[in-house]
Amino acid sequence: MNRSFRVVILSWEFPPRIVGGIAPHVYNLSRDLVRRGIDTYVVTCDFPGAREYEEIDGVHVFRADSYTSPSPDFATWVYLMNINMEKESAALIRRLDGQINLIHAHDWLVANSAIGLKHIFRVPLVATIHSTEIGRRNGLYTNYERMIHQTETRLTHEAWKVICCSQYMTSHVEWAFGLPKDKIITIPNGVDAGAFSKKFNGDKVRSRYARADEKIVLFVGRLVHEKGVHVLIGAMPEVLARVNAKFVIVGNGYMKDPLIGQVHRMGLGHKACFTGFIDDQTLKLLYSCADVCVVPSLYEPFGITALEAMAAHVPVVVSDVGGLSEIIEHDKTGVKVYPDNSNSLAWGITRVLLDPDYADWVKTNAYNKVSKKYTWKKIGKRTKTLYRRVYHEYRSGPWKPA
Amino acid sequence: MRVIIFTWEFPPRIVGELSRYVNRLAVELVRRKIDTHVVTYHDSWTGYHKGIDGVKAYRVSNPITAQLNIITWDLTLNKEIERTAASIYYKTKRKVDLIDAHDWHFIPAAVNLKKAFDIPFIFSVDSLENQRSHGSSAPINLSIKSIEWLGAHEAERIVVKSERMRQEVNRIYKVRDKKISVVSPYASGWIDEILESYRKALKGASKSLA
Repeated sequence: MNRSFRVVILSWEFPPRIVGGIAPHVYNLSRDLVRRGIDTYVVTCDFPGAREYEEIDGVHVFRADSYTSPSPDFATWVYLMNINMEKESAALIRRLDGQINLIHAHDWLVANSAIGLKHIFRVPLVATIHSTEIGRRNGLYTNYERMIHQTETRLTHEAWKVICCSQYMTSHVEWAFGLPKDKIITIPNGVDAGAFSKKFNGDKVRSRYARADEKIVLFVGRLVHEKGVHVLIGAMPEVLARVNAKFVIVGNGYMKDPLIGQVHRMGLGHKACFTGFIDDQTLKLLYSCADVCVVPSLYEPFGITALEAMAAHVPVVVSDVGGLSEIIEHDKTGVKVYPDNSNSLAWGITRVLLDPDYADWVKTNAYNKVSKKYTWKKIGKRTKTLYRRVYHEYRSGPWKPA
Repeated sequence: MRVIIFTWEFPPRIVGELSRYVNRLAVELVRRKIDTHVVTYHDSWTGYHKGIDGVKAYRVSNPITAQLNIITWDLTLNKEIERTAASIYYKTKRKVDLIDAHDWHFIPAAVNLKKAFDIPFIFSVDSLENQRSHGSSAPINLSIKSIEWLGAHEAERIVVKSERMRQEVNRIYKVRDKKISVVSPYASGWIDEILESYRKALKGASKSLA
């Protein structure tokens, strides 16, 4: 093979279109793959003001019409959007004379395109499963959820290898889709540590959210049940009895109003601040002046906010679930508490706030860990190794375009 | 000439009149020495079957059993249609001249195969969503219309069964008359007119026989 290794990555979100964690993931991964000499094409959905084609740090980004006519529901829209995504991808691959080595799909949102392209061009497919329907809903109760679950199942069965971002997700995905163990590869998620660890002057931002004599207890995430913000609010009285603090809660979600109601019923409205969605820069400033960052999730495939806090030199208190259990070592890189337990959480938070030496120890260890272990460089390297391995197996097998 | 026919109904599966028409068409094409492959849907009788009339039929089912509506059912099923058509393409050493897609169901597969392999396709219209849904603009009907629109504009030619349908396709999908062939399936010599439309499609796509 004289040309470089060529991959087509499918993702329904890519900056500036950012819905959740897949966009930054694919953005960082694709840039690192280019640095490793891989010819990288991303096909994604359009976004107002973004170009149909552009090159970002060497990544070829194509944005397909995301189907904007009315659709009956979200899942049906996903399949309709995939008509356009697959059409654009097929045209792209034809322009490349069918000469691609691999297709890499991210979650069920692009499953239809990925499966279709795999069979049309007969190239191997790799799928990253970021989260599962059965995990998000804690079970399958409706046809809607079952259809998505079956689509995820199909994607993982059609894939040559499946990538998960934590040991927890690996065993969850193995169970959820009935996959053989050796089909799933664990490649931990990453954080751009440099972007969070810069020294910011956060005083101006600090005064916007808290008084000078208040410690800042920070939560960042979607305000949905499984993120456990209600457990954090339940811990407020016990923390406030010992430390003067402000609970700053960043993010939006269907739980926002119930959570605000919960705080007010407790008579602690003045001790909590719901900021809603805030921009990247403000978030980084807020991290830089937080005294502790709390991740009280009940379900967490990975826990990227814990990594961001660690990169920003903020001590973290996390519930001992899912991916968080693997990132944090108790009393070394953070504090682990019992999930769904406000007393335990209050204990963890006060422990960090009342003992500055302990907080220093934890955040220094944490920073050293993220800057070594959870770098994009490492992920790009391991992903490239996996690509090569899959392509090698494929090349020595009989299934090929004739 | 080698043709792949896409249809969502084919004997023994009979939903409406399309099934028997496509069967009659396939048999006539074989008689005219055209290598005819029919790719269709069946829930249980899946796989390859060559009839005594020489028609090669491939029946696929949908692996996704939980569905919300006809769109999700159709678009997931299209993956199996694509897989089967691609297999025919590779097995025949990439010598497929034309795809003839009947009604909207497998238009997405026809479009993707055209983009991937440069195989022109014909959109054969039996009925249109606008008539079936009495002009409804509910999201589900609009979705089907958007697929018909895609087919009308990506197809090399459109074949309809009456002058009235030509007007409808022209009115709803803004396709110029020259692109549409009217072939009444009950007129004598209809199969010659079908073949003529196939030849026009190949010529329009600047293709000689593969």
